[in-house]
Amino acid sequence: MNLVVKPRPLLIALGVLLLCAFSLSLALGPVSLSLADTAKALLNLLGFPVAGAEQAQLIIEQIRMPRSLLGAAVGCVLALCGVAMQGLFRNPLADPGLVGVSSGAALGAAVAIVGGAMLGGIPAAISPYLLSVCAFAGGLLVTAMVYRLGRRDGVTHVGTMLLAGIALTALAGAAIGLFTYLADDATLRTLTFWNLGSLNGASYPRLWPLLVVTLGVGLWLPRRASALNALLLGESEARHLGIEVERVKRELVLCTALGVGAAVAAAGMIGFIGLVVPHLVRLLAGPDHRLLLPASALAGASLLLFADLLARLVLAPAELPIGIVTALIGAPFFLYLLLRGRA
Amino acid sequence: MGFMNIGIGGFVLSVAAGVMFWGIAQAEPLPQRWVSAGGSISEWVVELGGESKLVGVDTTSQHPAALRELPSIGYQRQLAAEGILALKPDLLLGSDEMGPPPVLAQLQAAGVDIERVSVSPQLPALQANLQRIGQLLGDTKGAQSVFDAYQQRLQRQQQWVSQAQAHEAAPTVLLLLGHSGGSPMAGGVDTSADWLIKQAGGINLASHQGYKALSSEALVGLDPQVIVIADRSLEGEQAKQALLKQNPGLAATRAARHGRLIGLDPTLLVGGLGPRLPDGLAALSAAFYPESQPLTADAKLTP
Repeated sequence: MNLVVKPRPLLIALGVLLLCAFSLSLALGPVSLSLADTAKALLNLLGFPVAGAEQAQLIIEQIRMPRSLLGAAVGCVLALCGVAMQGLFRNPLADPGLVGVSSGAALGAAVAIVGGAMLGGIPAAISPYLLSVCAFAGGLLVTAMVYRLGRRDGVTHVGTMLLAGIALTALAGAAIGLFTYLADDATLRTLTFWNLGSLNGASYPRLWPLLVVTLGVGLWLPRRASALNALLLGESEARHLGIEVERVKRELVLCTALGVGAAVAAAGMIGFIGLVVPHLVRLLAGPDHRLLLPASALAGASLLLFADLLARLVLAPAELPIGIVTALIGAPFFLYLLLRGRA
Repeated sequence: MGFMNIGIGGFVLSVAAGVMFWGIAQAEPLPQRWVSAGGSISEWVVELGGESKLVGVDTTSQHPAALRELPSIGYQRQLAAEGILALKPDLLLGSDEMGPPPVLAQLQAAGVDIERVSVSPQLPALQANLQRIGQLLGDTKGAQSVFDAYQQRLQRQQQWVSQAQAHEAAPTVLLLLGHSGGSPMAGGVDTSADWLIKQAGGINLASHQGYKALSSEALVGLDPQVIVIADRSLEGEQAKQALLKQNPGLAATRAARHGRLIGLDPTLLVGGLGPRLPDGLAALSAAFYPESQPLTADAKLTP
C-alpha cells in the first residue's frame, strides 16, 4: 500500500466530509426547503430565535435532525466494530456479523414481530420499543454464546470462535426461517423490511440509547489501538509485547456486541458499512489502528449519511430501505478491492 | 388514450363542481389534499367521488388504474414522514395497518390530520368507514346510498346462493395462492379466502389456519371439485393448460379433469370489503353453480 496519506490531513478531510454529509442530510429531503428557511430553522435550533419558517423548523428539528444523528451514530459504530473485528480475527474479510451479533439481533426481531403478532398484537405504542429491545438482547445473547464456545481452559480461540459464529448464525437462520413460515403476510413484510434497515421514523427518545453506546464504544476502542496493532503480529507476539491478549479479546467482542446490537436495534440490519469502510480507510491510512479507528468512525458516519440521502431522495415521496443502497454501493466496491488485490 | 383523458377530465370537472357546491353548503373547511394508504380505502374514496382530492397513494392502491399515476408513498406499514409532507396533504387516510407509529406522530405534529378506518370484513365497519369518508368529502348522503346499494348486492348474493343450493349441491373448493414455482399456498380458516368461498356458496376444504403451502399429494388427497387460483395472469385456456402441465398433482384433481379452475383477482383477498367484491363474488358463485342463472349487478331482490 503506497497510497498512505498523512494522519492529520486525512482526519481533517474526513471531518470536513462528515460535516458536509451532515449538513446535506439536514438541508435536503423530499420536502424542498429554501436556503433561507433552512438557515432560519438551524439558527432556531442553535438557540437564536428567528421568526417565520415554522414548517421548516418542524421538518428539520423533528424529522431530519434525529434521522441524521441516527445515521451518523449507526455508521460510526458499525465502522468501528468492523475495525475491531477485522483486528481481532486478523482477517480483512471479517465483519461484525461474524460473532453472531447480526443474526442474533435478526432472530430477536423475528421473535418480536412474529411472536407479537401471534400473541394478538402488541399495542402500537410499545411495539417499536419491544422490537429494539428484543433485537439488542438477541444480538448480545448469541454473541455471548459464540464467545463462550470459543473459550477453552481460559483461552479464547479465535478460530473456534469464528466457526462457532458460523454455526450459530446457521442455527439462528433456521429459527428465523421457522418464524417466517409461521408469519402471516403482513408480519412477513414487516420482517423483510426490517432486514433491509431504515433510518425512517427516527425520534429523540429512541436515539439516546444508541448515542450513549456509540460514545462509549467510540471512546473505548481507540484506547485499545496499540493492542490491536500488536495483535496484527499474532497472538503470542502480542503477549510477548506485554498485551493482555485475553482481556483485549473480551473487550473487543463486548464492544462489538453492544455497538452493533444497539445500531441494529435502532435502524434494522444495514450491511456492508462494517466490512467496506475499514477497508477503504486502510487503503488511505494504512494499517495503524491509532489512525484507522478514528478515520473509520468519521468515514462510516459520512458514508451512511450519503447512502441515506440517496435512500430518501431517489424514490421520493416513497423511500428505499437503506440496506439496499449500502449493499449496492458496497458490493461492487468490495469486488473492485478483490480484483485490484489480485492484479 | 385521448378518449380516456377526456373521460377523466370530465369526471374531475364534475367532481370539482360537486365539491364546490358542498363547499358552499357547509361552513367547516374540508380537507382538500388527501393521501390514501390501503388498497380498498383508496378504491372507496374514488367510488365516493374523491379521486380529484387524492395527491398520493400507497403501493397497495392499484385500482382503479388511474391511481397508479399518482405519486407513490411506498408500503403502508413503512411510510416516510418527509416524503408524505412533500405532497402537502391535509389528510392521511389509512387503515389500522398503517405505520410505523413514530412516523404517524411526526406527521400529526406537522399538522396532517390522520384518519384510520377499519379493514375488518364486516358490514357495520364498512358502513362506519363510508360514513367517515363521506363526511370528509362533504357528502354523507351519497356515502349512505352507496353503502345501501352495496349491502343490497351482498344480500342478493346470499339469496342467490341459497336459491342455487336448492338445485345443486355446494361444491368443495380450495383457493390457491402463488401457483408459479414451488407448492401453492392454500387459504385455510380465518382467512379472507375462506370468507370469499363461503360467501360464494362453496365449502372450503382447507382446515389449517392461515395460508399454508400444500403439497401435490395433499392436493390430490383433498380432491376439490373447484379450484380458485388467485392470479390475474390465469386468463384463457392456454394459461390453464400450461399450469396443469407444470403441476401434475393439480391436474389429477376433479376440478382440473372437469375444467373447473377459476382465476381470481388476488387484490380481492386484501383490505376488507372493497367496491369490486360483489362482482367478484357473483363471478365465483356463477362458477360454483354452473346450472343456475348468473347473478347480474342490476338484479332485483326477490321478496
